Amino acid sequence: MTKMFAVGLAILAGVAGVSAHHSFAAEYDSNKPVNVSGTVMNVEWTNPHIHFWVDVKSADGAIVHWRFEGYPPNMLVRQGWKKDATLKPGDTITVTGWQARLEPTLGAAREITFADGRKMAAGPPAGTGGQ
Amino acid sequence: MRGQVRRGLSWSAMWRIATVIGLSVIAVTPSVSLHGQGAGRPASSAAKPTPRTPDGKPDFSGVWIANSTIRLLEGEQQVEAMRQADLAAGRPPLPPPEPLSYKPEYEKVRQEYLARRGIDDPMARCLISGVPRISVRPLPFQIVQTPGLVVFLYEVHHAFRIIPTDGRPHPEDFEPSYLGDSTARWDGNTLVVDIVGFNTRTWLAGVGTVHSEQLHVTERYTRDSYDTIRYDVLVEDPEVLTKPWNMHELFRLRPNERIREYECIENNEDLLRIEKLLQNESVFRIK
Repeated sequence: MTKMFAVGLAILAGVAGVSAHHSFAAEYDSNKPVNVSGTVMNVEWTNPHIHFWVDVKSADGAIVHWRFEGYPPNMLVRQGWKKDATLKPGDTITVTGWQARLEPTLGAAREITFADGRKMAAGPPAGTGGQ
Repeated sequence: MRGQVRRGLSWSAMWRIATVIGLSVIAVTPSVSLHGQGAGRPASSAAKPTPRTPDGKPDFSGVWIANSTIRLLEGEQQVEAMRQADLAAGRPPLPPPEPLSYKPEYEKVRQEYLARRGIDDPMARCLISGVPRISVRPLPFQIVQTPGLVVFLYEVHHAFRIIPTDGRPHPEDFEPSYLGDSTARWDGNTLVVDIVGFNTRTWLAGVGTVHSEQLHVTERYTRDSYDTIRYDVLVEDPEVLTKPWNMHELFRLRPNERIREYECIENNEDLLRIEKLLQNESVFRIK
């Protein structure tokens, strides 16, 4: 536990500023993980974050329109992503990440699993406000 | 709201937060690499000599990225491989992180920013990070070096620093700015950059790491191997700090990278979300 405290304190001290852009913690809740599967409807390839829309069928058959935020394009390209190819409308995917504090169907994406089982990092680890 | 102080955090609260952060960091460490093929991974080049410019100075030219950010791009497996390579090469580990030591009145300000989970971060508004924060963003930078001049081109913010290396004094007519005014000299094989003239709209490193216009930063760049630059920073600000703060980082050469365009303000939806959140602080504030 002491070690965990030390890790946390180091981040609180502001020496691990690996946030890509904003403070994650104010906008997203790291205590509310998201894991949804659905069909990609749109991809917005923009800075400082990409966004993509996923239609998710709920238990009662209704469609829930999820929207996710991810890394900026440059960070994705460096990890092997290609615009209009890696993630595109019609793809069936599973997204893990964290829910926004205000909007219940907005999430910060961490990882995408594609229909063929490939996994790609889509966004940063959960931040906590110390970054 | 920015800069105002409502209340600080007790040590027990700090302990809880820090522990949660520590747990989170461990929890998010992926067990398998989610990442690509490591386009920026340097080839095995431990034996290559440190390059030098025609005037005999160490040559820092190239595309570099802060070591602490590489896990975001390449995952734990590659980070561990680089750590093992460092050990095999006999590289001494960086000193452990040193906490910033603020005067009580500024520590309260910092704690307030932390309690607000960093919603006030200038970065979220696409403002240029200052020094040293800009050096440790997860986007690379390029160094272009000529005799008497070194130029830093940062992918993030399209920022640049043009730094004379002849040891000249700072000009007298600078205005306070995000990146300040830099002038450099050589100390043996180390490039020493002296920076003054900062405005107060940046944070030094993490959330709430405020500073005053008295900020004086000294960067030391040492190319300690073909693949790496050792980056040692001294931060002095007698207005807000009780003692100088030392920061250390390692930059890794990214031989297959180039600096790309990054227009932060293009579609910054965070601005709208932040405005909504600020209307109901209880939604995001640490209790």
